[in-house]
Amino acid sequence: MASITLKNIFKIYPDGFTAVNDVSLEIRDREFVVLVGPSGCGKSTTLRMIAGLEEISRGELYIGERLVNNVAPKDRDIAMVFQSYALYPDKTVYKNIAFGLERRKTPKKEIERRVSEAAKILDIEHLLQRKPRALSGGQRQRVALGRAIVRSPSVFLFDEPLSNLDAKLRTAMRAEISRLHKNLDATFIYVTHDQTEAMTMADRIVVLRDGVVQQIATPQELYEKPCNMFVAGFIGSPQMNFIEGKLKKKNGAFFVSVGQDLIPLPEKESLGGLSDGLDVKLGVRPENVITETARFEKESSPLCGRVDIRELMGSEVYLYVDYGKTKLTVRAPANIAPKSEETLSFQFEKEKLHLFDAQSEKAIM
Amino acid sequence: MKSKAKRKSALSHALVYIVLILLSAVFLAPIFIVFYNSFKSRLFITSEPFALPDSETFAGLENYTEGLSKTSFFSAFGTSLLITVLSVAAIVLLTSMTAWYITRVKNRFTKLLYYAFVFSMIVPFQMVMFTMVKTANTLRLDNPLGITLIYLGFGAGLSVFMFSGFVKSIPVEIEEAAMIDGCGPVRTFFLVVLPIMKPTAITVAILNTMWIWNDYLLPYLVIGTDYKTIPIAIQYLRGGYGSIDMGAMMAMLVLAIIPIVIFYLFCQKYIIKGVVAGAVKG
Amino acid sequence: MRKDLKKYFPVFALPTLAAFCIAFVFPFLAGIVLSFTKFTTVTNAEWVGLENYIKAFSNEDFLNALWFTVKFTVVSVVTINVFAFALALLLTRSIKGTNLFRTVFFMPNLIGGIVLGYIWLLLINGVLQFFGVTITFDASYGFWGLVVLTNWQLIGYMMIIYIAGIQNIPSDLIDAAKVDGASFWGILRHVIIPMVMPSVTICLFLTITNSFKLFDANLALTDGAPGRETTMLALDIYKTFYARTGWQGVGQAKAVVFFILLAVIALLQLVITRRKEVEA
Repeated sequence: MASITLKNIFKIYPDGFTAVNDVSLEIRDREFVVLVGPSGCGKSTTLRMIAGLEEISRGELYIGERLVNNVAPKDRDIAMVFQSYALYPDKTVYKNIAFGLERRKTPKKEIERRVSEAAKILDIEHLLQRKPRALSGGQRQRVALGRAIVRSPSVFLFDEPLSNLDAKLRTAMRAEISRLHKNLDATFIYVTHDQTEAMTMADRIVVLRDGVVQQIATPQELYEKPCNMFVAGFIGSPQMNFIEGKLKKKNGAFFVSVGQDLIPLPEKESLGGLSDGLDVKLGVRPENVITETARFEKESSPLCGRVDIRELMGSEVYLYVDYGKTKLTVRAPANIAPKSEETLSFQFEKEKLHLFDAQSEKAIM
Repeated sequence: MKSKAKRKSALSHALVYIVLILLSAVFLAPIFIVFYNSFKSRLFITSEPFALPDSETFAGLENYTEGLSKTSFFSAFGTSLLITVLSVAAIVLLTSMTAWYITRVKNRFTKLLYYAFVFSMIVPFQMVMFTMVKTANTLRLDNPLGITLIYLGFGAGLSVFMFSGFVKSIPVEIEEAAMIDGCGPVRTFFLVVLPIMKPTAITVAILNTMWIWNDYLLPYLVIGTDYKTIPIAIQYLRGGYGSIDMGAMMAMLVLAIIPIVIFYLFCQKYIIKGVVAGAVKG
Repeated sequence: MRKDLKKYFPVFALPTLAAFCIAFVFPFLAGIVLSFTKFTTVTNAEWVGLENYIKAFSNEDFLNALWFTVKFTVVSVVTINVFAFALALLLTRSIKGTNLFRTVFFMPNLIGGIVLGYIWLLLINGVLQFFGVTITFDASYGFWGLVVLTNWQLIGYMMIIYIAGIQNIPSDLIDAAKVDGASFWGILRHVIIPMVMPSVTICLFLTITNSFKLFDANLALTDGAPGRETTMLALDIYKTFYARTGWQGVGQAKAVVFFILLAVIALLQLVITRRKEVEA
């Protein structure tokens, strides 16, 4: 049983810098949780505190029912995979994987069995007698994984394990780690700055910024209902567009006025108490911009912008459109998209719009 | 045109070889001359030092027996070996541990220690000679075991400095991985860090061996009244008023050089690498 | 980090630190204090202020040793580095057998100062006897004897360092200079020398400190003779301590001056040559 509970965890350095600020989090047994955020957001520090590599300044950390604030890393029943792999350079792959078991006085026969089993899972059986420097980046990554799984711990910690790999390998290893999670009875905590990794692998994602938790949710929720502009901008690629405007109430319906345009909003209860003329930011994902005139809503007039740059991605194009003061990113089907310098008429999918308070940056709807 | 250039380069190659071979002869000649003089009788060494031994001047092993009886060379060899091996072992083991500690535990005290070690590298022996010898006598360190401690202390500067430089290049993650794998600090050091530091350990060992094996003044002042190392034994051949038995001297020089040459031929690769590494870091 | 390691101070750092205090820190501090006192053993020291320093600087032996050491250092530093660099240039040309030559040239470095001194005593006296004199006949014989000896000992060492420096120069750079039409001397002056400045820094540092501190070879080759004319600083300090009772305080003052001179010269040299180093 390895649920993990963080209760009001702080990391404050001697110089007063607060790297992790009041983080509370409950991770269920066998859950795959990803901590994500820009560099310096405290995600690695949080992970290292769970591992026991970093002291907890304040707060309580439980693994299962046990308070582990003062428990040494080796006694926490965890394994960790580092960004730099941290393989022992002078030892063979076999020794690297076996090292942790040897320290735990596992019988030699048992070690051999488990190492070969792990090597089989990771397809590195032919590398066991090599030294790390004779391996490629992807192979080293597998050895690092092997070192973790051979101990069959109840918690796996990953600290940006894929960021030193090239794009193709990264995709492959992503699938591999997801597969491992399915096959092993263990809780996974994974730190990354790459939202794609977070979205594709996680059961739940924790978004951090400046040491503060912004939102904890499933990938789907995070994408559909970001709680503030930071999360909205961080999750999703290309990034969500933000358009400055003012809230307008007209005939009982709500609009956002941007320059001359009035953009209609869906009917939502959360809009009810808001005052007319409030400064807001309208959030539109690039995939929620309608460019096919056939799909336009009749009751509102289309918006217009000038296409600045057009990037062909294959079946679709990314258009960078000057709309008023805003540079909009638009995803559109390649066959109908206009060329650079041409005018684009478009509408937004009303139900998929996001609205934020310009002041607090919190989501209104 | 082409063949002319070729001929010119062949000529310059030959010239380079001739220069190098001549220079090698110049470099090796002193040792060779000492070697054959060690078989000449005393008188002829001073009167015709460059002449090869002939039936008249050849003295067999007389110089050797004479020298050995005067210097008790073999016991000096034993003392030198003991002191060098013990001191180098202590230096490599203990300064690597210290370097790891002061590099990984960062606070004002370890920083101060580091600078103290670096500072000590530039202080010449004469500066601390008198007081160090007095301290060693007072603490009863005036024996081959005690002098090991003196060498450890006086040699710590360079060794700590070189090990620290290397420790800084080891990613901390490796040690953290060891920690998670179940190692405490002692195991982390001996099972993970020390094996990684092997190249630096070899460099440190070689530089210290070259120093301690050849050192004269420190052992002379600290243990010289009771024990002789090889340099002390050789210096002992110089009589009270500067008179030197050149026969015995030549024989003992040969005996002193032989172990060095053997050591050099076996560890040549490491020695040259070690010297370069040591120089670049020092 | 590593709260657990911190507790291991007695295991990891204490042994070295204890030895360091016994063999260096305490003797060093005591040495500075004693240089202001009159003493024969450490326990009967009596404060005399700057008297020892005044005595040291009005002591002809000391001034002579200082001058001799400076001359010796300048001459041997220049000769060693020129020869070592020239040899390094020869041995980095693409010819076979350079390793063998390197081995030969480096070997004298392993022989200690005392042994070296007697080897060269034989050779120099051997040459001088053609003129019916010995090395102790004139101070200049001793001077040049020491220069030759030090050259023989250190050229190989410095050569190894220069070779490493020259081999580190990217071959693109030399090729580019050749394409630009530079002559051998042009390449040497504008590419090789600027690029081996880090090696120059190290070699100058090592030769300056080694020459300045020379003791063993000095003791074995001339023992300061004739008179005290070939006594270098380290030997003079030694003799002030152990061959002249009542002068221990002066010896210690000389040692402090010796240390300060060495430190200032070495640091100055490091600062000056470091400035000439270029980024590769």
